[in-house]
Amino acid sequence: MLTKIAGGEIIDPVNGRLGKGDLWIRDEQIVEPPAGGDADRTIDASGCIVMAGAIDIHSHIGGGNVNTARLLLPEQHAAHMARPAATPLSNAGWSTFETGCLYAKMGFTTVVEPAMSPGAALHTHLELADIPIIDKATLAILGNDDFLLSMIRDDSSQQTIEDYVAWTVGSTRALGVKVINAGAAAAFKENVRTFALDDVVPSYGVSSRKIVKTLQAAVDRLGIPHPLHVHCNNLGAPGAADTAAATIAASEGVPLHLAHLQFYGYGTEGKRKFSSAAARLAELVNSTPQVTIDIGQVMFGQTVTISSDVMRQFSARGSASPKKTVIHDGDGNGGGIVPYRYRQDFYGTMQWAIGLELFLLIDDPWRVFFTTDHPNGAPFTAYPVLFELLMSRDARNEMASGGSNGAMALSTLSSIAREYTLEEIAIMTRAAPAKLLGLDDRGHMGSGALADIAIYRKSKDIAKMFGAAAFVFKNGDLVVKDGEITRYRWGRALRLNPQPDKAMVRRLREYHERRYGLSLDWFTFPDSAIAREQPFGEVACRS
Amino acid sequence: MTAMTFTLVANPPERLDLSLLTPEKLAGMSRRDIEKIQLGTSKRALTVADIFRVSGDDLQNIVFDGGSDRFDRVAAQLTGGSVRVAGDVGAQAGRNMRGGNLLVEGSAGPHAGSGMRGGRLEIMSDAGDRLGGPLAGELAGMNGGMLIVRGRAGAFAGDRMRRGLIAVLGGSGDHAGSRMIAGSLVIAGGTGAMPGYLMRRGSIFLDRAPENLSPSFVECGAPESAFAALFDRYLVAEGILGLPLLGKAPRKYSGDNAVLGMGEVLFPRSRGS
Repeated sequence: MLTKIAGGEIIDPVNGRLGKGDLWIRDEQIVEPPAGGDADRTIDASGCIVMAGAIDIHSHIGGGNVNTARLLLPEQHAAHMARPAATPLSNAGWSTFETGCLYAKMGFTTVVEPAMSPGAALHTHLELADIPIIDKATLAILGNDDFLLSMIRDDSSQQTIEDYVAWTVGSTRALGVKVINAGAAAAFKENVRTFALDDVVPSYGVSSRKIVKTLQAAVDRLGIPHPLHVHCNNLGAPGAADTAAATIAASEGVPLHLAHLQFYGYGTEGKRKFSSAAARLAELVNSTPQVTIDIGQVMFGQTVTISSDVMRQFSARGSASPKKTVIHDGDGNGGGIVPYRYRQDFYGTMQWAIGLELFLLIDDPWRVFFTTDHPNGAPFTAYPVLFELLMSRDARNEMASGGSNGAMALSTLSSIAREYTLEEIAIMTRAAPAKLLGLDDRGHMGSGALADIAIYRKSKDIAKMFGAAAFVFKNGDLVVKDGEITRYRWGRALRLNPQPDKAMVRRLREYHERRYGLSLDWFTFPDSAIAREQPFGEVACRS
Repeated sequence: MTAMTFTLVANPPERLDLSLLTPEKLAGMSRRDIEKIQLGTSKRALTVADIFRVSGDDLQNIVFDGGSDRFDRVAAQLTGGSVRVAGDVGAQAGRNMRGGNLLVEGSAGPHAGSGMRGGRLEIMSDAGDRLGGPLAGELAGMNGGMLIVRGRAGAFAGDRMRRGLIAVLGGSGDHAGSRMIAGSLVIAGGTGAMPGYLMRRGSIFLDRAPENLSPSFVECGAPESAFAALFDRYLVAEGILGLPLLGKAPRKYSGDNAVLGMGEVLFPRSRGS
């Protein structure tokens, strides 16, 4: 089928297309305007902006910890929708179904779950397969697991470690590798309660820095497109900016991605010993071209923090609101669920301002990514308002006026005049994520690209514009019209497929039999376990 | 003015959500508008007019003439005025009530008075499980007000109660006052297994010695208590009981020491085993 999107304002920075024009789709792909061809369907996009479908690189949408959070907060289901209009279960709040629909309505077509424990890969993929419409991907967590730490301790060869990383990525169907507070979860099991970059994991004699560097090198040499995704030590602690700065310095010319930098943007100045270090971190990021970051913006209101940083979550138990938590000290990373309400008090306002400062002070939209670390800083449903804050200084000032004056006085936010342009938004949420993840077929609207397209009706009310897209195409299917879902379809989970090394598989087989008394088959699964026609889409490694 | 009366004309074919029929939510509505309010919980979209004949005009005084165990959330979020049901009600009657009066002349289903913070809820016959208790995930159950059951209450009466008074006069099921945080729970007519199971603080008043208290309660003798006399007088004055319950020096257990252990179970010296 040939579709013409007529008369929209096209914003495609990758191909240098900015301004009014038509866009043609044949079946699943964007194509050059056909010579004299008539469209089977014409979409009137006059008065609209046309962008590629948005990509979220860091949003906790599936897996064991997300499910535990649902179990911990059953009252949230009732709170979402007191009297379901149709059948009760299909509309339950915070379900996989709702996740896919809400993302699609905002024009997001690909979302990455950034923290899949390798042991929970099957569960995670089953849950992701139940999220309709959008494409998904996962990052596999390494860096606190006994197998890797033992290899580093025993001075295993670089090649062996790469074989292990490649096997993990391939068998868990991941698109990349994440390390969460490297070594801290292993140290936590030995009652260590604070852990920094140069601290050493007891019993292994391996420093956090060594783990990060080992994984960073393995990811780089394997040609995994997405650089190592690092959740640094000391998340949320006053003074964490020093840790983040040390980690940025440790990148040493090799690509590295720092997740949710806002949660490290904390200095120790002022009478509360809690201040903004955003300017310092932004400057470091600006001057370190191999480093990319996402923000993890905080927005005011109720949310729940979901993290595999078990040490951090354990120490945050006291601040839980409502007062209930789950801490799970499991194999590898473990994790913790701590509900939290970001208040417009000194601390909440400070966190909110630091995230925006980072957004606005980091110059290059190709290296700063739009996230709230859903749901840790705010649920992803806050995105439309966040777009407005980035694009309008007035909107920032208005929201700041409801917060703490003391916090604003210690922040540079009110003096920053920068407002994101639509082109910068298109880079930050489309082009740059596609490049960062190695997804050549999306993030732009050149000929041959996947027809993932978001069309927004232009409006002064930016939050309204981005909250309900006028039209959304996924793989050429019209899935959203006027902010409502018009068609349900199943997306795929994007994965890398490095071939496993036979000696490594043999070694893992022996390890699992010795350590767990179970065959390695218990820890892996065939594609057919995911009951979808095409559950996975394969992405190539860099050669 | 006569009471706003909803006369049941047909047995409801599905569960109904009656939380919209309270004085506050009906204020300013014409009878035509009221008849159009949706009560159904399925795609049938039942309205008031499908189920009830509506008469009367005093919106501060609402009467349901006829009841059903499918009447859910009767008088939920009530803040003032009075609601009377001449019949049974379903789940969550008086849920999150903050004031006013709810009188159920028949029986109530589970979660009656769940999370109520004020007002008075009286059930003339039996109540289901989790009287005054929280819904899944909520941290506190009843948080204030007065809840009286003239018949029997099911299991977990007063679960996670935090404030207020519950009085059950026809006996209760197992685990009455489980996980109580504070507040007062009166049960006459006997309790099931382990009253006060995992209670942190709060007081449970019985008319006889409990038969199977958890072993994590400790006997504290029978000290003379000015409070017991005061509380007895209050129950009689409020019309909850006809005769004093505890007497001058009731026996006392404290617990549940499996948790905080600052709760108490009081009962009169003379009666029971």
